[in-house]
Amino acid sequence: MTDTALEAAALGKRFGRLRRSAGWALRDCSFALPAGRVCAVVGPNGAGKSTLLALAAGLLAPTEGTLSVLGEPVGQARARVGFVAQDKPLYPQLTVAETLRMGGDLNPGRWDARAAERIVAGGDLDPKARVRSLSGGQRTRVALALALGKRPELLLLDEPMADLDPLARHELMGVLMSQAAQHGTTIVMSSHVVAELEDSCDHLLLIGGGRVRLAGEIDALLETHARVSAAADTDLAPHTVVESRTTGRQLTALIRPAAPLPADWRPGTPSLEELVLSYLRNPEAQTTAPGTPAKSPEESAV
Amino acid sequence: MTTLTPPAPGTPHLTRWLIRLHRPALLFWTAVVVTVSGVLLWLGGPLADASAAAWRAYDACQASACRYDQAAIIHYKDVYQYATIAVLAAPFLVAAWAGAALTGREVETGTARLAWTQSSSPLRWFASRLALPAAVVTAGTGLLVVLHHLAWSAGKGRIGTLKSWYDLPTFYANGPVVVALALAGLVAGALAGLLRRGSLPALVAGLGFTGLLWYAVQLVMPHLWTTSTSVVALKRFAPTGGGLGVDEGIVTATGAHVSNLTCGNSENDECLAFYDKFDAVGWYRDYHPASHYWPLQLTATALVLALTALLTLLAFRLLHRETGLRKGRSA
Repeated sequence: MTDTALEAAALGKRFGRLRRSAGWALRDCSFALPAGRVCAVVGPNGAGKSTLLALAAGLLAPTEGTLSVLGEPVGQARARVGFVAQDKPLYPQLTVAETLRMGGDLNPGRWDARAAERIVAGGDLDPKARVRSLSGGQRTRVALALALGKRPELLLLDEPMADLDPLARHELMGVLMSQAAQHGTTIVMSSHVVAELEDSCDHLLLIGGGRVRLAGEIDALLETHARVSAAADTDLAPHTVVESRTTGRQLTALIRPAAPLPADWRPGTPSLEELVLSYLRNPEAQTTAPGTPAKSPEESAV
Repeated sequence: MTTLTPPAPGTPHLTRWLIRLHRPALLFWTAVVVTVSGVLLWLGGPLADASAAAWRAYDACQASACRYDQAAIIHYKDVYQYATIAVLAAPFLVAAWAGAALTGREVETGTARLAWTQSSSPLRWFASRLALPAAVVTAGTGLLVVLHHLAWSAGKGRIGTLKSWYDLPTFYANGPVVVALALAGLVAGALAGLLRRGSLPALVAGLGFTGLLWYAVQLVMPHLWTTSTSVVALKRFAPTGGGLGVDEGIVTATGAHVSNLTCGNSENDECLAFYDKFDAVGWYRDYHPASHYWPLQLTATALVLALTALLTLLAFRLLHRETGLRKGRSA
């Protein structure tokens, strides 16, 4: 058992090889995700989240760089990785029960039929119902049951909760969390709604413009950043400024302190959402994160 | 940290689910094969006998008002024609299905990705998508071709309007080229399904490729085996050389052959001028006699199968490129 669930080095993916300049969905991504974490992949629409998850699931080959999954080259750990795509594809002509039976047949030696059936039963689903007759939320439930039934060591979920009502969302998130707690499953889930992930995730991977903007334990990230308010003419050096705004004579900034901060700056811990938004609004901000080598601003500029 | 037991060795049952997912198509194919087989057996048996009896009556006719069963002759001809078309349609049916349903729809709706994130790789998934259909298509089309050949043979020497062995539809429906074309259609459709990311374009591409391939085979086939040549003196009838004609023209005084497909030994001014110009002494015809039937069938089959193998390789390479393990290039 490896300690790293996901490790990327200079990972890049370009679509459409004929176009020379454009087409990079993901570029120069380096990060390491320790095993056993619940990791949120956050970023605006079109940032490259889905591409990253598809690369990790072995559905796409990287154009450059390397990606290892559970200590193996991506694609070789297929049996140990679960994946639920954003649009929750399932075979419409199969019944719910058949879909789960297929999961057992396609994942011999790993399949936990009872776990899968439990997830489906939680949604009051008729096992004899055809998948084509299910609602979006019910499909999500079946897709999750299929992914969890193979007892993955790494579970990749692309916008898993997007079409669930709040009640189902809460319940399924609970299922996922208990899975993570019971089996030590590493869960990587993407979302563009930060609030949705704040309570359940302990690791953050912030993607913007096809690059990793921030990566690390959420607590550590929040600790290493500070929201400060000071007089407008204050020099924020030597601290790293992520975002600063001046309103009248007042300067508010999100910084990464390099030294203890003066008390009159009124330093406070930012919320996760503040942190994420600050980085996304300022693509030129330095993207240093625990476990990621620092880059010069030119390098990280999008 | 994990309670997982080590995975027991086992093979994913991809084929079982392929059958389940394509059960309607499999049933339809079975129904088509059974129906056309039945028609071909009927054609080679009762219909051929009735037609042959009518021909015997016709041949025995001396008087102007003789009686023979014309309806039986026409019936045999009609059913023969439809049955031949049905056999020749098999490759197109297979290609359309392969493009639209076998891979195209799965790639389009994302269920291919669902399959690729179970415990087997995309390449194994694709192999399972090709293997069983290839066997089913070979068995079905092969049976039709054998029955068509038998039905055709049943009329040999007994039915006056029986198609010759080199009549194009008959030639193809009678031999293994059609089986190879069906396999090519299967692979072409499956490849198009991977390529075009849409089931309708894949269907069209599969059909189009199969049509073009068949056309190309028709062009190439006569040249796959050395022709026989018959020669007659000029101003006799053009040499007939019963069989699949490839070329004809004049033999010059030096023995050289000059191709001419229009004159056919006729004596209009233009042709006479042509004979004079080349100092023609005879008329030749390159053709394939009936004994070339199997060499032509087998070389054309081998050619199509080689192309099919190439397409298969291409499809696997494409899938591997897209999803496979690849050492990333440095930028």
